[in-house]
Amino acid sequence: MTAFVLAEWRRLISARLWRWGVLAAICSGAFAALLALIGPENFDPPLPGLHTTEGTRVVLGLLGLLAFVPALLGTSAVAAEYRHRTITTTVLYAPRRWTALAAKIVTFAAAGLAYGAITAAVAAAGLFTAAAAKGVTLGLPAGEVLGLLARIAVTMGVYTLLGVGFGALLRNQVAALVVLGSYFYVVETALLLVPGVKALYPYLPGGATAALTGFTYLADAVAAQAGGEAGALLPASLGGAVLVGYAALAALAAVAVSLRRDIT
Amino acid sequence: MTAVEVRGLGKAYGPVAAVTDLSFDVPPGEVTAFLGPNGAGKTTTMRMVLGLVAPDTGSATIGGVRYAGLRRPAATVGAVLDTSGFHPDHTARAHLQVYARMGGFPRHRAEEVMDLTGVTPFAERLTRALSTGMRQRLHLATALLGDPGVLLLDEPANGLDPEGNAWLRGFLRELAAQGRAVLVSSHVLSEVEQLADRVVVIREGRLAVAGPVADLYGDPGVLIRSPGAATLRALLPGLGEGVTAECTAEDALLVHGLPADRIAAEASAHGIPLHEITPIRPTLEQTFLNLTGGPA
Repeated sequence: MTAFVLAEWRRLISARLWRWGVLAAICSGAFAALLALIGPENFDPPLPGLHTTEGTRVVLGLLGLLAFVPALLGTSAVAAEYRHRTITTTVLYAPRRWTALAAKIVTFAAAGLAYGAITAAVAAAGLFTAAAAKGVTLGLPAGEVLGLLARIAVTMGVYTLLGVGFGALLRNQVAALVVLGSYFYVVETALLLVPGVKALYPYLPGGATAALTGFTYLADAVAAQAGGEAGALLPASLGGAVLVGYAALAALAAVAVSLRRDIT
Repeated sequence: MTAVEVRGLGKAYGPVAAVTDLSFDVPPGEVTAFLGPNGAGKTTTMRMVLGLVAPDTGSATIGGVRYAGLRRPAATVGAVLDTSGFHPDHTARAHLQVYARMGGFPRHRAEEVMDLTGVTPFAERLTRALSTGMRQRLHLATALLGDPGVLLLDEPANGLDPEGNAWLRGFLRELAAQGRAVLVSSHVLSEVEQLADRVVVIREGRLAVAGPVADLYGDPGVLIRSPGAATLRALLPGLGEGVTAECTAEDALLVHGLPADRIAAEASAHGIPLHEITPIRPTLEQTFLNLTGGPA
């Protein structure tokens, strides 16, 4: 298994994708810095400024929304095996096919966390610099800002796994992107309109993400749209565990269905 | 020593039977050619042996073990399949290093197989920029990483120039001489005619013939042109059991079961002039086409 993980790591760093990953992580962090520099009070519609708790949370929350980028990178990495047909050789080396997927999951958990760490580091530097440049104090204590950034970093790691899981299940990066994207932006909102489903919201991917990132702006909006108050979210760690669970389910489904198929 | 045993293998895609009740062996120390026209089921068979495609019936084992059950698959069997690919952003060297790691092989092994297969000169080139011949060499290098005792190669000569083809023949013969079991599929008989010790010919997914190459050559015959063809036709079958003579034209006779010198002596004894007497041997190509139902 160690050999497979080393091989996956080598596979990852031998292609250009990881450089795009680092670039995307830096840009994501810079995006948060840019938002801070513009200031939420100048958004359309205007939001509370950086010096307020809400203002700082909004900037961090918008950063959390970029977690779909590492998910996409994770999906690409797995789907590439099918697109470039290296899957044949990979399966010849790992005839117990789940082992190759397990190695990818371990590798991309590390890669996703690294992505998140880079994003968080750039965002932290940008946020504090922007606040200093504007002469305001962030509406949250530095420790709390760093804590939220750490949770965003973990979210990005977990989303990378979601990407890997769905990539392995659907074997096509466009399909995986459409499924994940349409779920988060359309399906979950629609689901919440079904009576009773709202009680499940903390356990749905969107609710679990909100718990993990600590950003409830969207959750509140969704709740408002569905009518009524947002329910209580899970603790962050549990939200993360729920998301890892979804990634694991996708990976298990991939092992049970996609990986079993004949490779012709 | 490991060898491949295929027993009663069958696979259907919907109503189409790709392979039916196929049995053959690939013994060690020999090159076995796996022949059949395109679509005969060669690739499906090789993929079933390698566990990539699940058979409906029968089994394929390597040293008595199914591929999926091999303890170190890549160190036991090396395969070149026509549809396996490379990541376009990887260099040839990076590709080999990924799989050397995956197989748990020492790091210098990638360099060794590159030298063996002639990949070294383009080791740093991106795989997207490789020619078909280079890709074939890189596939072969990948198959050899684990120094396997069994090699299954699906159309490895595809895209090779005549020089590359000659190199491949020599290389595969050498691998077999080292005691490895080598199976090479092809739809072009001339590619493997000088290479193989044994042949397995399949047609429409079923075994047509399997055995040493020498057995494939048909019965030799003698072609005679003579104005006395009709007389000879009456005369010759009486000279021994199993002797046949048939007129292929008014003045032409095809004789089986008698050597040319006996026929000449007999004709001379009866004062029959011979305008032509030619020993003929059906080519392997002819036999192959007959077996696979191609044009005679």
